Amino acid sequence: MTEALATGTAGAVLAPDRSGARITARLLHSKATLFWAAVVLVVVLCAVLAPLIAPSDPLKGDIRDGLLGPSAHHWLGTDKLGRDVLSRVLYGARTALLSAVEAVGIAAVVGIPLGLLSGYLGGWTDRILMRIVEGVMSVPFLVLAIALISVLGPGLWKSMAVVGVVYAMTLVRLVRGEALAAREELYVDGVRVAGAGSGRIVFRHILPNITPPLIVQITLMIAGAIIAEATLSFLGLGAQAGDASWGSMLSDAQASIRESFFLALPPGFAILLTVLAFNQVGDGIRDLFAREAKAGSMGVNPVLKAAGQGEAPPAGVFVDDPVLSVRDLTVSFPQPGAGRVAVVQGMSLDVGRGEIVGLVGESGSGKSVTAMSLLGLVPDPGRVRAASIRLDGRDLAGLSFDELRKVRGGEIGVVFQEPIASLNPAYTVGDQVAEVLREHAGLSRAQARERVVSLFGQVHIPDPAARLGDYPHQFSGGMAQRVMIAMALASGPRLLVADEPTTALDVTVQGQVLDLLLELREQTGMSILVITHDLGVVADVADRVAVMYAGQLVECGPTEEVFRRPSHPYTEGLLTSLPRNVRRAGRLPSIPGVVPPPSAWAEGCRFAPRCAHARPECSAGPIELAAGGRDRAARCVRSHDLTLTGVRALAGEPSAAPLASVRIEKKP
Amino acid sequence: MTITTGDGTARDAELLRVRNLTVTFPGRRSAPWRRPGKVVAVNGLDLDLAGGETLGLVGESGSGKTTTARAILRLLRPSGGTIEAAGFTVGAFGRRVPLGYRRAVQAVFQDPLGSLDPTKVIGDILAEPLAVHFGLRGTERDRRVAALLEQVGLAGHHLRRYPYELSGGQRQRVSIARALAVEPKLIVLDEPVSALDVSVQSQVVNLLEDVQERTGVAYLFVAHDLAVVRHACDRIAVMYRSRIVEEGPADRICESPAHPYTEALLAAVPDPDPARQRIQRRRRRELGAPAPTGAVPATGCPFASRCPHRMPVCTESFPDWTPVTGGGRVACHLHGGSPTTPEET
Repeated sequence: MTEALATGTAGAVLAPDRSGARITARLLHSKATLFWAAVVLVVVLCAVLAPLIAPSDPLKGDIRDGLLGPSAHHWLGTDKLGRDVLSRVLYGARTALLSAVEAVGIAAVVGIPLGLLSGYLGGWTDRILMRIVEGVMSVPFLVLAIALISVLGPGLWKSMAVVGVVYAMTLVRLVRGEALAAREELYVDGVRVAGAGSGRIVFRHILPNITPPLIVQITLMIAGAIIAEATLSFLGLGAQAGDASWGSMLSDAQASIRESFFLALPPGFAILLTVLAFNQVGDGIRDLFAREAKAGSMGVNPVLKAAGQGEAPPAGVFVDDPVLSVRDLTVSFPQPGAGRVAVVQGMSLDVGRGEIVGLVGESGSGKSVTAMSLLGLVPDPGRVRAASIRLDGRDLAGLSFDELRKVRGGEIGVVFQEPIASLNPAYTVGDQVAEVLREHAGLSRAQARERVVSLFGQVHIPDPAARLGDYPHQFSGGMAQRVMIAMALASGPRLLVADEPTTALDVTVQGQVLDLLLELREQTGMSILVITHDLGVVADVADRVAVMYAGQLVECGPTEEVFRRPSHPYTEGLLTSLPRNVRRAGRLPSIPGVVPPPSAWAEGCRFAPRCAHARPECSAGPIELAAGGRDRAARCVRSHDLTLTGVRALAGEPSAAPLASVRIEKKP
Repeated sequence: MTITTGDGTARDAELLRVRNLTVTFPGRRSAPWRRPGKVVAVNGLDLDLAGGETLGLVGESGSGKTTTARAILRLLRPSGGTIEAAGFTVGAFGRRVPLGYRRAVQAVFQDPLGSLDPTKVIGDILAEPLAVHFGLRGTERDRRVAALLEQVGLAGHHLRRYPYELSGGQRQRVSIARALAVEPKLIVLDEPVSALDVSVQSQVVNLLEDVQERTGVAYLFVAHDLAVVRHACDRIAVMYRSRIVEEGPADRICESPAHPYTEALLAAVPDPDPARQRIQRRRRRELGAPAPTGAVPATGCPFASRCPHRMPVCTESFPDWTPVTGGGRVACHLHGGSPTTPEET
C-alpha cells in the first residue's frame, strides 16, 4: 500500500525529468561516491600519464643506489636494484589497470552474450551452459589459474585471460538471472508482438534494461581483477620479475624485507587505495540505482496542528453527531525547484455515526492521500497539517506518532486494496489477527484464538476454526479481504477506513465484500469511509459521497441526490462517461484531457480547463466550497445556474426497467 | 461431450477461427519424483471473429481469457486445437512466428507502463515496428511515426518522452499507435482500459471505435467489466473456468442472459444509479454464492457448484451448445439437450 501511495504521490508531485539527469543530480549529492570516483580518476591519470610524470625509468636503476630511503631525488626511495619506487608504482598502475581491463573485457565479451542467450532462450541451452558455469566455479580460482598457466606458460596477458574466463562465468550467472526475469516483463511481450526477433529483443530491449546491475558488477570486478593481477604477479605467474607491477613489487619487497620494511608500503597502499576506490564507486552506483527503484521511505508522519481554526466549511459538509470530523486538512510534498506543493488542500469532511461515506476521485485527486493522512501513514517527505481531525470529539491533530498508532488499529480500522499483499506471508492468518487482539485488547492466547474464530465467522469465512492455521497464499483474493476486514474489526473500531477495498477483486466477489461491509455496519454501528474510483461501488454502499478533484473537495452530499442531480460539472462528467449496462448509443461521453499534475493546478477553478461550462469568472480566483441546500455543497461558481445531467437522465428508460434474468427456454 | 459449432456464429468473412483450443500448464507435483499435474487453463474453446468486428471475451480472473489471448498472439504454445487467423495457422509455427502473422495480428496490453520498454523514448517505440516490418528509415519513418501519433491524439512533443513521463491514458494511446503501425487486421486488446481512470477509459474506448471505423480493424476485446464490453463490442463470449459458457450479440447477452453465470456476472456490475443499484443488489444476493476454490471438476458444468438452478445432470456432463433466441448460443442444461427440466428438480 505505501508503495502504491508513494509512487502515486511521487509520480504526481515530481516534475517529469530524464532518468539520466535525475541520476546525475543524485550522484552530485552523494559526496562519498564522488570522492572515490575522483580517486579512481587519479589512478587512471597516473596510469595514462606514467611516461610523462614518472621521474625515472621504472626498469633501469643503478645497483649501487639500491635500497635508498625516501629522499628529494627518490621520493619513495629505491629498491634493491636501485630502481625508483615512485616510478615503478606509477607504471604499476598501468599494469594493474590494463590487466583489469583485459580480464573484465574478456568477461564481458564472453559472459554477457552467453548469459543473455542462456536466460532468454532457456531450455537445453540454459541447462548445458549453467552446468559448465557451475563446473568452472566450483574449482577455487587460484588453483584453476595455476593449472591453466602451467599449460599456457606464465605471462601477464595469459594469466589475466584466465582470470577473464573465470569472471565471465560470474557474469553469465548474473546476466542469465536478470535476463530470465526481464523475459517475463510485459514490454518483452510488447516487442515480440511488434515483430522483433530474438536478437533484437535481447540486445535492443533486455540488455539496456539490465545495464544498471551490470555496471555495478563490472565496477566491482575491476577491483577484483586488480587484486588478482597483484596476487598472480606476486606468485610469479603474472608480470615477470623485472616488470613494474604492484604484485611483483611486493614480491621484491618481501625478498628484501630484512633490509628495508618500507619497500612494501608504496605498492601495498597503491593496491589498497585503488581497490577500495573501485569498490566504493561500485557500491555508490548500486545505491544510486536502488534508490531509483523505491520512491520514498516509509515515514512516520503525525498530523501537525495548523495554526488557527481554519475557515468554517459550508453547511453541506457538516453532519450532526459526527464520528470523524476533518477540518482544513492539507498534505504537501516537496518538489524540486517549486518548494512544497499541496496535493490535498483545505479538505474538510464529516463522517456521521453509522454512516458510510464514499470518497471518490480519479488517480491524482488526492483521495488516498487524504485517507492515509488520517492514519499518519503519509510517506516521509510529505507533510500533513490540519486545523483539527476529531475522532469522537478527540483531536488527532498534534498527537505524536505513538499516540496515533494506538488510534490506528484501535478506534480506526483500515482495509487496503491488495489483501494478500497486506498480509504477512510468513505467519498464519489466525496469528496475524490474534496479534492485533493481544496488542490492543490485551487478550490471552486462548481468548484471542476464540475471538478470531468468532470474527472469522462474522465476516463469513467458511469453516473459520480450520482456516486459522492457513497462510495468506492459501486464500483467494475475496477471502483474504475478509481476513483483512476481520483484522480491522478486531479492536472494535468506530470508523473503518477502506481504501479501494474491492478494486483488486473479481466483480462477483466485489459484490459479496460490499454486502459484508453493509452487514457489518448494521451489526456494529460503525462508520465506514470508502475510498474508491468506482462510482458503482459508491452508489451501492455509500449514504453520502464526497467527490475530489485535483486535491480539493469539489462536491459533497447524499449519494442519491448527488448522482441524480450533480452540482459540479466534474461530477457530471464522471457520471456520464461511466460505461453503464445500457444499450450502446453512439460514442461514450468523456471529459477531455487529464487531471493535471499538482504543479500545474490553476489558481481559480482547477477543473475549468476541462470544463464544458467554463466562463472567464471561473479562472479569476480561488473558488470556495459553497453550500447548496441543507446537506449539499459544491465548489463551482455556476452551480446554481447550471442544470447538470445525472444518472437517471442518462439511462433514458423507466425506473422499473426489467433487469436481466435467465430465460429458460425448453426445447420442444 | 461434443461441441457443435454453427448456428448464429458461422460467418462469411472469417478473420479468426479458433477450434477446440486447449492450453494446459504444469501444475504442482504431488511428490518430488512424480510428474507435475496439469492445470487446464483453456478447455476446448471455439471462437469466430469476422473482419471489422469486435468480439468481447469476458470472465473473472482465472477464467482463461488472457491465456486465450496469449495463445492467439502466440506468446504461448497451445496444447491442442487449431487457431487460424488472417490466413495463417498458428499451431504450425515453430519457435519463430512469421512476420506476416505479426503484421496481421497485433496487441494492446492491460498495463500501459509495463508493456512499453522503459529505456526507449516514444519515438523509438513507434519506429521499431516500422523498421522491423517495412525496413523504413530516416525521414519516411519519421513521417509515419508523426502520422501515427496524430491518429491516436498525441502531439509531436511526446516523441522524445519516456513512457513514465506520460499519463496512463497517453501510454495506452502509444500502445494503440504501436499496434496500428503495421496496419493489422486484428488487434487483441487484453484489458485495455481496466487500469485507466473513468474519464480516460471512455476516451480510449472512443479512440478504439474511431480507429475501427477508419481502418476496418477487428478487435478481440478481453475484459472483466461487462459494462465496458457492452459499449465496445458487437458480440460477447462469456468464459467461466476455462470454457466459454455463452456467446451472442452484446445487447442480447446483457439484456437477457441465458446462462446463470452470465446472469450473476451482470447482477454484480454495480450501477451508479443508487435506485437501480438497490434492485441490482437484491439480485446479486439471490445469485451470489462463494466462488469455488481448487481445480475445475473433471466432469460436468464448471459452474454447477455455485449455480442456483443446479440439477443432477449438471455434475455429470458438460452441456451441449443450444441456440438462443435473439442470437448466439449457450452451454447450459437448463436450455435443453438434457432429459431433465428445472421444474422436475
